[in-house]
Amino acid sequence: MDLSGVAADLRRITVEIRDQHGSLGAGALWPAGHVVTNAHVARSPRLALGLVDGRRLDGRLVARDEALDLAILRIAGAGIGPTTPFDETPPRIGSLVIAVGHPFGLRSAVTVGIVHALGPLVRGGRAWIQADLRLGPGNSGGPIADAGGRIVGLSAMVMSGLGLAIPMRDVLGFVRGAGIVE
Amino acid sequence: MDGLLALSNELAAAVDRAGRWIVGVNARPRLGSTGIHWRQGFVVTANHTVQVDEGIGLIRADGRSVPATLAGRDPAIDLAILKVEPFDVGVAEVADSSSARVGHVVLALGAGPRASLGVISAVVGEPGSHKVGGDVLTLDLTLYPGFSGGPLVNAAGQVLGLVTSGRARHLQLAIPAATVSRVVDEVARRGHLAQAYLGVATQPVRLPDSIRERLGLAQETAVIVTDVRPDSPAAHGGLSIGDVIVSFGGATVLDPYDLKRVLRPDRVGQRLAVSVWRGDAPRELEVVVAERSARA
Repeated sequence: MDLSGVAADLRRITVEIRDQHGSLGAGALWPAGHVVTNAHVARSPRLALGLVDGRRLDGRLVARDEALDLAILRIAGAGIGPTTPFDETPPRIGSLVIAVGHPFGLRSAVTVGIVHALGPLVRGGRAWIQADLRLGPGNSGGPIADAGGRIVGLSAMVMSGLGLAIPMRDVLGFVRGAGIVE
Repeated sequence: MDGLLALSNELAAAVDRAGRWIVGVNARPRLGSTGIHWRQGFVVTANHTVQVDEGIGLIRADGRSVPATLAGRDPAIDLAILKVEPFDVGVAEVADSSSARVGHVVLALGAGPRASLGVISAVVGEPGSHKVGGDVLTLDLTLYPGFSGGPLVNAAGQVLGLVTSGRARHLQLAIPAATVSRVVDEVARRGHLAQAYLGVATQPVRLPDSIRERLGLAQETAVIVTDVRPDSPAAHGGLSIGDVIVSFGGATVLDPYDLKRVLRPDRVGQRLAVSVWRGDAPRELEVVVAERSARA
């Protein structure tokens, strides 16, 4: 698959999330009518969701963990469509990563970079996928995929110019802990 | 395999490969930098990150520290050479840096390893390129904190140069591998890095059309000698105040930095031609480059 193919697949599963305060974030469609995102994006029990094809949906908060900065939502209604495979093996340093989100309100924007490093920023901190990748406010919660189009993490923040993503292993642990089977 | 995946794997393999011959450098407070094991026993890094002369530590991938000593500095190009007892860190695979072309995809690496992706945005090396110090590759990539002194590598994982953010503000640069090798060879040969010395002070001047026509030169500027140190190579070679130097050592001189570009450490002891305009006629002189004494 070429880059535009990976980007198109990723845009299809990237959700726009607006909370009751109107702030914009992103999320990734998850099997069985769910969406995974950051806890700091999902700050109210009901959220307005948008898909890249223009559909508007309602999301209800199912589980939220402030410390992990992860949340899972359930979408009202069915027939959302296919989701994208994921990979919980950490990507290699130097390998390509592709992010989709809504930086500065720009809908479903695609950015490309590489894995900068893996692990915590400071000793004892949480493990990140640190990416040499341009992210902005509005990317939070959106998917980051490898060159094969598999989701390897969720964008979470920008630190000293680096894009930080929550590794898929942590996302899966959280989702399973919430009783949701992928 | 499809192209995108192949490129991704190639970049990851390049990081793997080049990551084997880089070390962390502990030679300034707080933020460490990166070093490249260039030749057995010699590690190179960016001079501006070596703020101490003693107690330098090299951090290997396993986190262990190995002591190193300062073998030489070339502040003009921001390069420091460290000497280390033979250790089990691989030696860099050096590419022909003259193969670097604008637009080539490159990686910069920091100790860890950590990686950054971009392209070569310009290859600078012409006379008058003093704004960035001449003979550099300028890069469109992010040099993250601690990357200075690390390698610029091609997609095959071979080193094209040494990256530094310490030479020009707002510019990410790499010193070409050929320049680094030349300086390392010099240190290995002499045991230290000599500072080449000519003994003149100069200022840039615009060449009048009449002189350019007489000399058949395209260059619009040169340098005028404003001081000649007594007993210096310039004095012995017959240079005088007021001489306009148009070329030195076969290189066109557009501004004072072009003299410095010629005065590399390996020029010490060499006899170089100096073309000057004196009064109303051209003159060909010769100087023997000396080594600047420690107190000078």
